[in-house]
Amino acid sequence: MFWKKRKSGSDRKQNDPNKEVENTTLTLDTLKNIVVNMDDAEIIERQINPDHKVTLLYIRTLINQERLNDEIIEPLIHHSPAPIHECINVCKASKVNDLDEAQRQLMEGAILLSDRSEDQWLAIKLENPLSRSIESSETETILFGPKDSFSEQIEQNVTLIRRRLPLTTLKTEKFTVGSLTRTPIVLMYIEGLTNPELITIAKSKILTIDYDLFLDSSQVAAFMEDHVHSIFPQFQQTDRPDSCVYALGAGKLTILVGNTPFALIAPITFFDLFISPDDYIHRWLIGSFLRGVRFVSFFLSLTMIPLYVAINTHHYQMFPLQVLFVLLESRSKLPFTPFWEAFLMLIIIEIIIEASLRMPTKTGQTLGVIGGIVIGQASVEAGFASKVLIVTVGISTIASFLVPNYLMVKANRLLLFAFMLLSSILGIFGMALGFIIVLVHLNGLTSLKQPYFAPIAPLHMSDWNDLFIRVPLQWIKRRPVSLYPLQKWRSSRRR
Amino acid sequence: MTHIKRVVLLMIIMNIVLLSGCSSFFVENNTVEEIAPVIFWSIQEGESGKLKISTLVPPLINEKKSMLTLQVNLLKQGRKDFNLVYYRELKSGQLRMLFISEELAKKGILPLIDTLLTDPDISQRLYLVVIKGNFEDYIRNQVDKQENLDYFLYRMLKHYETKNQGDITVINLHQFLKRLYSPFSDPILPVFKVNKENFIYHGTAFFKDDKLVATISDMNDQILQLLNNDYYLKLLPIPSLAVSLGQIRSKVIIKLASDYSSISIKVNLVGRIEEYRGDKNIVDSDELEDLNQEIKSYLEKQTTALLRNMQQWKVDPLQVGTHSLTPFSQPIKDEEWLRKWGDMELQINYQLDLQTMTNVNK
Repeated sequence: MFWKKRKSGSDRKQNDPNKEVENTTLTLDTLKNIVVNMDDAEIIERQINPDHKVTLLYIRTLINQERLNDEIIEPLIHHSPAPIHECINVCKASKVNDLDEAQRQLMEGAILLSDRSEDQWLAIKLENPLSRSIESSETETILFGPKDSFSEQIEQNVTLIRRRLPLTTLKTEKFTVGSLTRTPIVLMYIEGLTNPELITIAKSKILTIDYDLFLDSSQVAAFMEDHVHSIFPQFQQTDRPDSCVYALGAGKLTILVGNTPFALIAPITFFDLFISPDDYIHRWLIGSFLRGVRFVSFFLSLTMIPLYVAINTHHYQMFPLQVLFVLLESRSKLPFTPFWEAFLMLIIIEIIIEASLRMPTKTGQTLGVIGGIVIGQASVEAGFASKVLIVTVGISTIASFLVPNYLMVKANRLLLFAFMLLSSILGIFGMALGFIIVLVHLNGLTSLKQPYFAPIAPLHMSDWNDLFIRVPLQWIKRRPVSLYPLQKWRSSRRR
Repeated sequence: MTHIKRVVLLMIIMNIVLLSGCSSFFVENNTVEEIAPVIFWSIQEGESGKLKISTLVPPLINEKKSMLTLQVNLLKQGRKDFNLVYYRELKSGQLRMLFISEELAKKGILPLIDTLLTDPDISQRLYLVVIKGNFEDYIRNQVDKQENLDYFLYRMLKHYETKNQGDITVINLHQFLKRLYSPFSDPILPVFKVNKENFIYHGTAFFKDDKLVATISDMNDQILQLLNNDYYLKLLPIPSLAVSLGQIRSKVIIKLASDYSSISIKVNLVGRIEEYRGDKNIVDSDELEDLNQEIKSYLEKQTTALLRNMQQWKVDPLQVGTHSLTPFSQPIKDEEWLRKWGDMELQINYQLDLQTMTNVNK
């Protein structure tokens, strides 16, 4: 009695918009029936000559009206005896035979044109090219290097990649997902280079996706991931075409999703999330140094606050007297235990970070000032937090943003809370336990069925030249062995 | 199913680890603001065979400090009783210095040292210091004048320990015990002289087993630093020759005669003359050579006297006996070695390589 009665199968079928007008023949009346109550649907009927009547049906908001006038209406007015498909000025016109197809074409920005004389319907693609221009990436900014980034137009995104990889072997396979959104997905790979097993896995995963709404590529990734409950991203999301091209060249797959600027790259490893296009632009020593800083800062952001909690709660005897002197001095009059003190400060930091993402840019400065004062000064003066913790939280938070991948940044923040809890209960031993659990988990993870912790486990020593340090490009002769590409060597001489 | 298996396996491993005693579920409350991690204990002889143990509270915090003193029979009793007289729990996990009175050291400190050694809280990097005078009076007198007095004493010892600064002897619990329990080796400890106003480095104390037998100071102490402890002296003033040597590094080569009748100690000294107020013109090579000879004979005389004293006291802080060890023969017994060491003929030879300061001219 506490459960709602399950609806019968027939009820559910009625709710499915796709099944609504099944098995109906394609006529003007059935089409009119479909567009009833659609304000932006337009039907134009025109008598060209006494025995030739033409009907146009389209959704005004989805098509390019200028092109409609120039390429269809104009030629029809000056109609010659030739068949309609010969006199209109568009290159892509296809015959439509059933109602389903007609509906699909209509909603993808096509004009349905009926030629009564020949008793046929033509679909002419005239999509509205409504899109923003190509801008620079806001999520993965770099100082030097290509500035362009993807937009919401999938065709434009494919163009950006094709321009960088002018290859006939660069394949683009199109799929559609989402019963309501009908989001286009383009799977890109280089034939003859990418491991075919990866392509098969990706295709099978895409084909099994069954859901109604897909508004971003992360939702597509969620359906393709091997491990749904892991906090680590198993697909790399990027809006940089150069990152996608680098991945394609290494033997990975790129999945472009319609109506979002973020493409998916797979399979990835844990270490790929620390790689920025910057690494390959700088001199190799500087690139390696920056990558090292990123790894160190990830480690610091994960350990500094738990270490503070652990020392202050359990291990006063393990630390140099100088450190203890500072800690004791700063904590001597605080009302909270180290765990709650750190927890409160971290929650405040998270609130400020979230607020800064949502707030308009102009109010961002105010937020920064208020955040700075609240976190930095007021909490210390009010006696809620110690100065050492403020410094620790500050460094830890800034360090966490050095990882180029935003999903990884968020994973890092959540891990931090877990580590903090462990360190407050078990001290440094708890942190060690936490690291063991994370390592075990990372070793078990896969991305497109490929090991996530490669090239460390399984060990591929030849991939280490682009792991923690980035050796000179001339020395990176092989594509990542962990991906098993069909062409192992980057140099054309050794192919 | 595999996930369940993994979780169960992980739980088992965690339980094994936790039950093995690594966890801190049932350990003491160590929240730093609630405890007082003391950094020194001063131990003197008390009344009727008791120990008089003192410390300074609160440690490491800029609050008004006071001295706690107790007369106890046992060291641990003192540790326990301190908690009863102070509102924060006194923890010994950061105990860094142990000041032992000279009188107590002369009677033997092995029970004290063993107690400290077996305490898992107490680090082996605990500095041991012998005190000549009343340390309590010094602390009581200085505590109002100097904030964090205890902390600065620790910083002083740590400073001279790091990289062997070549001025004073600094020995920690581990080093003391290593010397105590090693064959052919006797421990040493630094000696500080205190009165109400001052805390002055006096020299080095020689121990026979765990009992203090003698103290050396001034030039003898400096020579000990060169021969054994630091092999480096930043400054060596020799007032009787009106010369100050600086940046001296020594290389000591010890050779024992096969029948243990004599010992030859060759010391190569490299350094420079940093100050000279004597009558010689040391820019002149002949006069410089004369000065070198004087320094050489002075050092040889002093070293011989020092070693003679060691022979008399039957102590071997230079660990000369270790040179008697050879790969394929049975080691000589400790008592036999000390007997032979006492009768050994000494051949001390210094080789000096001293640079002159160019602006010294007459």
